Amino acid sequence: MMITVTGLRKSYGNTEALKGVSFSIQEGEFFGLLGPNGAGKTTTISIMSTVLDPDSGEVSIAGHDLKKDPLGCKRAIGVVPQEIALYNDLSAYDNLLFWGSLYDVPGAELKNRIDSTLQLFGLADRKKDKVNTYSGGMKRRINIASALLHRPRILFMDEPTVGIDPQSRNLIFEVIEKLHKEGMTIVYTTHYMEEAERFCDRIAIIDKGSIIAQGTLQELRQNSGIRECIVVSLSGIDAQLSQRLAASLGEQARISDCTLNYYSADVKKDLSGLILKCSEAGADIAHIDIRKVNLEAIFLQLTGKQLRD
Amino acid sequence: MFRIAIKDLKLFAADKRAMLLTFLLPIALISLFAMAFGGSGKRESRPMELVVADEDKTEHSRNMISRIDSLKEFEVVLTALDTAERLIKKGDANAALVLHKGFSDSMTKDALLPVELKYDAAREMETGILQGALAGAFMRITGNKSMIAQAIRNFDAQNPGMDSAVRGMIHQQIAGNFQGPSSQPVITATPLVAEKENSPGLVQAVAGTAIMMLLFSVAGMGASLLDEKQEGTLKKLLYSPMHPNNILYGKMLSVNILSIIQLIVLFLFAWLVFGLNIFQNIPALALMILATAFACSSFGVFLASFAKSRSQVQGVSTLIILTMSAVGGSMIPLFVMPLWMQKMAVISVNYWGIQGFYDIFWRMLPVTDPVFLTRIAVLIAIGIVLNLISVVLYKKNVLQIA
Repeated sequence: MMITVTGLRKSYGNTEALKGVSFSIQEGEFFGLLGPNGAGKTTTISIMSTVLDPDSGEVSIAGHDLKKDPLGCKRAIGVVPQEIALYNDLSAYDNLLFWGSLYDVPGAELKNRIDSTLQLFGLADRKKDKVNTYSGGMKRRINIASALLHRPRILFMDEPTVGIDPQSRNLIFEVIEKLHKEGMTIVYTTHYMEEAERFCDRIAIIDKGSIIAQGTLQELRQNSGIRECIVVSLSGIDAQLSQRLAASLGEQARISDCTLNYYSADVKKDLSGLILKCSEAGADIAHIDIRKVNLEAIFLQLTGKQLRD
Repeated sequence: MFRIAIKDLKLFAADKRAMLLTFLLPIALISLFAMAFGGSGKRESRPMELVVADEDKTEHSRNMISRIDSLKEFEVVLTALDTAERLIKKGDANAALVLHKGFSDSMTKDALLPVELKYDAAREMETGILQGALAGAFMRITGNKSMIAQAIRNFDAQNPGMDSAVRGMIHQQIAGNFQGPSSQPVITATPLVAEKENSPGLVQAVAGTAIMMLLFSVAGMGASLLDEKQEGTLKKLLYSPMHPNNILYGKMLSVNILSIIQLIVLFLFAWLVFGLNIFQNIPALALMILATAFACSSFGVFLASFAKSRSQVQGVSTLIILTMSAVGGSMIPLFVMPLWMQKMAVISVNYWGIQGFYDIFWRMLPVTDPVFLTRIAVLIAIGIVLNLISVVLYKKNVLQIA
């Protein structure tokens, strides 16, 4: 295992931020840590990145015990913080030179890595410009680049794509996928479900200081018990027709106003039958949509909150 | 630590506003105070301007005025009496010497001279100085002759029947006795601190202002530690393998270096523009700059460790620096203050720094002088104590990340 977290507890005064969090991450795995604000994500990441001491629990990072060998842990990780932590009055190159130098990368090697990293992030032609002349997306790219110069085995990424333009987002996605393919272990927190669904091999959902679910997306879907939903928009429907249709479709159907929600264990099988029954009942179908069981729905069911609450 | 310091120096160099506040503002203030306190470095006693009205208009009165004008203490401005009075009333002159009619007769008869000093009562202090200087001058110009005549008159009155040949010899002896001492001032003033190349006003202006402005600069530089916390770079630094204390030590080093540079630039400016001789005791000056920079920069880092935000640093530092500067002699020379305030001055960094620079430029103490070394030791002690407190406060206040 590349990361093992066992029984992690942390309190701030009377507030228990972590109530015995445990999970493990394999080498090369892309691990998503999702949870609403105040759930304990940042506390967990802060402990794993050695800037916060836990009250109790064990953490092992790349084979180094966090308590006994924090320096070994620090050398193994790179951290991309949520805030853009750069020196705005320095150029991108000087920023990278400074952040890279903190990890004792030899001078010539560091300069080579800076050049190749700037190339990777599409900022080589702007390297001499001060960061305060950069757009938000460009700053985000440098923010990520500064965590990669010492070639960490594990990368913690805390909301790395907040508030950026589509071009920068796509570029960051490409870099993340490349790093993942190269075998880097990535711990990722995000509010964007589509990012978690796209990248994460496994996901842990944390709420009120506890991990309430973890596994692959498929495992989370299965364990959630949520069924996919066929959403049918009807036209020309009255109360009598609505009652007749509900009676013919059974408990799986919910009709409200002109919308019919049909919860199905097998959409492919049920769809044609549903259309037929609507037709027989005399209801005109305006539109049909299939609502899949996505992470948003699972999250909502598990925590009772939207991810962005 | 060195990487942090180099980064901070790069950031400082990139910040035009910080450069302006660190160098140009103090230079402007030093220029202002130097001009107010005494101009150029070469200390020259300038003659007092003396308005004189000659109402007698005789050979004797003109001769007297000419002799006063020839004295190095005075520069005579000859004018009519009504003009002289108008100058005093308008505040353009604080006093005027009037030689009334009969001056020549009185000189001839060795009688009381009809001389009057008209003055502005609101400027009594300056007039007192002028009066004292004038009395001395009159003594030197007229003293011997009238005093010899008076002594001979007294002798003749007491010895009316004396032989004329003997009387003549005694008259010569009396005159001879007055030759030496009477030509000298009654009190011989021997300055313990002789006239120097550097004016004390200039030393006060440069040292006082430089230290005060240095304190403001270091408070700003120290506060960058809190900016780092606010902007997230401090947290990012803590992710690195560097020891957390090295962040503070790096900050201390960069503030120290900038403080030394600032003091060097300001003294070079004072040398170039005002002629302050900074090369007369280079080892002492170097030591004093290092000690002052160390004490002041420690104060800046202490403020940053003590406060929770930049705005708090600005508020607290302004209050403390202005108080220390007022008490320590940066704003007003210490000798102008009441005795109890002069005693209080020792609590401020400014006092030890300013007095140290006075030791170098005015008192001309050698680098080994115990008084000078005591000031160095106090500044270093202040720096060490503040740094130790800063380390404790930094862990308690600044490193509270999560």
